[in-house]
Amino acid sequence: MSKITIPIGPQHPLLKEPLSFRITLEGESVIESTLRLGYVHRGIEKLAQTRTYIKNITLFERVCGICSHIHTTTYCQAVEGLLDLKIPRRGAYIRMLLCELERIHSHLLWLGVLAKNIGLNTVFMYAWRDREIVLDLMEEISGGRVSHAINTIGGVRKDLTQTQIEKISLDLPVLYEKVRELLEIVENDRSFSARTRGIGYLSPQDVKRYCVVGPVARASGVDIDLRRDAPNACYAELDFNSVTMTDGDVWARAVVRIMETLESIGLSQQIVNKIPAGEIAVTAKRKVPEGEFVSRSEAPRGEVIYFVKSDGSQKPKRVKVRTPTLTALITLPAQLEGLQMADVSTVIAGVDLCIACADR
Amino acid sequence: MKNFIQKIQSFFYLLPKTLSVFFSKAVTRPFPFDSADIPERYRGRVAIREDNCVGCSLCVLDCPASALELEKESKTNFRLLHYRDRCTYCGQCEVSCRFDAIYMQNKYIGPAYDREEYSVVLVDRKED
Amino acid sequence: MKEIITLLVNILIFPGFIFLLALGMGFHWIDRKLIARFEGRIGPPWYQPLADIIKLFAKEDVLPTGTNEIFALLLPLTSFAVTLTAGYHMVGTLSGLFTSFVGDFIMVIFLLSLPSLLFFLGGWTTSGVYSILGGNRSLLQYFSYEVLFIMAICGTAIASGSWSLGGIFLAQNEGSPFIKYQVVGFLMSLAGLIGKLKRSPYDIPKAKSEMVMGPLTEYSGRKLAMWKLADFLQTLAGVALIVYCYFGGLWQPNTIFGYLIFLLLMILLQFVLSIISAVFTRLRIDQLIDLNWRLFIPISLLQNILIIVL
Repeated sequence: MSKITIPIGPQHPLLKEPLSFRITLEGESVIESTLRLGYVHRGIEKLAQTRTYIKNITLFERVCGICSHIHTTTYCQAVEGLLDLKIPRRGAYIRMLLCELERIHSHLLWLGVLAKNIGLNTVFMYAWRDREIVLDLMEEISGGRVSHAINTIGGVRKDLTQTQIEKISLDLPVLYEKVRELLEIVENDRSFSARTRGIGYLSPQDVKRYCVVGPVARASGVDIDLRRDAPNACYAELDFNSVTMTDGDVWARAVVRIMETLESIGLSQQIVNKIPAGEIAVTAKRKVPEGEFVSRSEAPRGEVIYFVKSDGSQKPKRVKVRTPTLTALITLPAQLEGLQMADVSTVIAGVDLCIACADR
Repeated sequence: MKNFIQKIQSFFYLLPKTLSVFFSKAVTRPFPFDSADIPERYRGRVAIREDNCVGCSLCVLDCPASALELEKESKTNFRLLHYRDRCTYCGQCEVSCRFDAIYMQNKYIGPAYDREEYSVVLVDRKED
Repeated sequence: MKEIITLLVNILIFPGFIFLLALGMGFHWIDRKLIARFEGRIGPPWYQPLADIIKLFAKEDVLPTGTNEIFALLLPLTSFAVTLTAGYHMVGTLSGLFTSFVGDFIMVIFLLSLPSLLFFLGGWTTSGVYSILGGNRSLLQYFSYEVLFIMAICGTAIASGSWSLGGIFLAQNEGSPFIKYQVVGFLMSLAGLIGKLKRSPYDIPKAKSEMVMGPLTEYSGRKLAMWKLADFLQTLAGVALIVYCYFGGLWQPNTIFGYLIFLLLMILLQFVLSIISAVFTRLRIDQLIDLNWRLFIPISLLQNILIIVL
């Protein structure tokens, strides 16, 4: 049998963002694959050294479109750690509310993309229709559907009014019902299982070896969740479960993500019920004292780490970002061995890819 | 027997839901022929309350995209320009302003044929 | 002289070129509109397929270097011509324009099975990685699902005892339509039709997320328009054949009422095809072939044996 090399190249209908794969096939099964990144590298970390701390908030919001709020939250936490500021509790609660809403929207987007790659366009449309409820809520609170711009150093910028709280309390149970129907489809539908079960298996030892984080690790049985292990911004006052499964394939990842969505809806309802009164921000100085600070938080795809080093002036000396997609990309050649050509698209969609995050 | 029924049902799980969606109203709206409700806090066009602006240039310093420009000759003689094509509509100018002058409305920006239409003069004060 | 003019009108307008194209585009529009309504969207307006074809005719026609240009033009043209002939014959027999002769049933089936072969050859001529891989898969699918379609629909011919379309219709007219006793055969021929037309859940050769467009990746402009038109007409002729063979006694030929009932039955069948497309995922190639040879063909074989015996 002769070997063919197929490029799933920088431009392909399968991918949302450019990424270069070279897959070597023998017959119908994959023998090896190589990966190449760097097509969306914009030099954000170098650019951050030439701008002030306040201007950098807008810059780091545009690292990724789907998880934009969590990037600014982690960055602001790092700078507040350098300045030794404590933000008021109402501000922390509003930050958490938007983090959870963003997690819901990211997981629903991912479910639609997986269904489209398998060939089930109807579930794609249903998931994105339910995502519109969340986007409308975020637009009411912050002013933009995808780029929120609600964080500032020292707190948040806009307050939650009473009408908005009532609207959130009305919309969340509706969303809960719809996501539960999607969960039933994923668990019960025969053709969905036929395409996703047993594909792209990762064992717990592989997870520890490649340092995988996020729902991919939780679907293989490794229980790490930063909201519970190292809570930031008042997560310690709320209670929720973290979902794990032991199957380790694409189907388990789908179930884990949808159940996390249900947990996030519960968390949002708790936040809205328990939100304390008070200020939303404290004023921050423009010049940051010398030092280094590392802050981490749980993005929809895993753990995001920000390292900020300052030298006493108004501009940072070095900002380093580590995003969770990079850890998942390294496991792809190991997952793709021995699979058929038609399963490649399922595996690539099953690891939630955000190449803009990985390339910065 | 129940197992058998469940097995058959798992093949056609999406069928009842699809039929119920078919008989109800469509979710998408044909935008130019139908209205889009935009909430109040939407970050759209940048506008100014002229009486409050003193020309302190705090908004110019803080703008991440350098979309605001101030030509100042004295305290009562200055011009504030806004470049709509450079602006990212982030709202930092509204937060930085201490005199409650510059703010964002919820109107969206339309297209234009000429780039000149996108440099807008916000304040033009010439009292000498 | 008058005969030449009547012949020209028949070939070009009714029931020939323009009528078939309009009907084919109309059914494609119904398909897209139904799939959109199943997903909760509004769907395209009625002139969308026409606008697509006009736009494709206006685009530039590029092919990779090294392809045989004559073949690359002949293949879509032949595909289009073959499906037009099949459709013309079916509509002509239906409206009583010409009588059906013995063996025209086999002729229509043969004409409808050529486009799949030409589809694979089209990918082979413009060689590129996606075209050849998609072509391989479409050849596998062609071998399996043509056999299923022919076996299932020959059940009606065997039951009626003649190999001509007119004979099948007469047998149903005197007795009852074949759907009453051959439900299994009807379902199997439907499955075979979905496999022939390469619709979801069997659209692995054309799957956009894997092989960019399968064998048709490198075509553009007028040649792509002809492939698409051949696809529309193949759908039309296939659906018409199934309605003709299984629902024969319910309508009378050459009356307005009969035409309306035929059209209504075709639209109903198109509804069933669209809802199957919306509900199932795309199957992998080994699952497809597995399903066919292990499940469908034994069932249709059993059905045919029962028809011969009873």
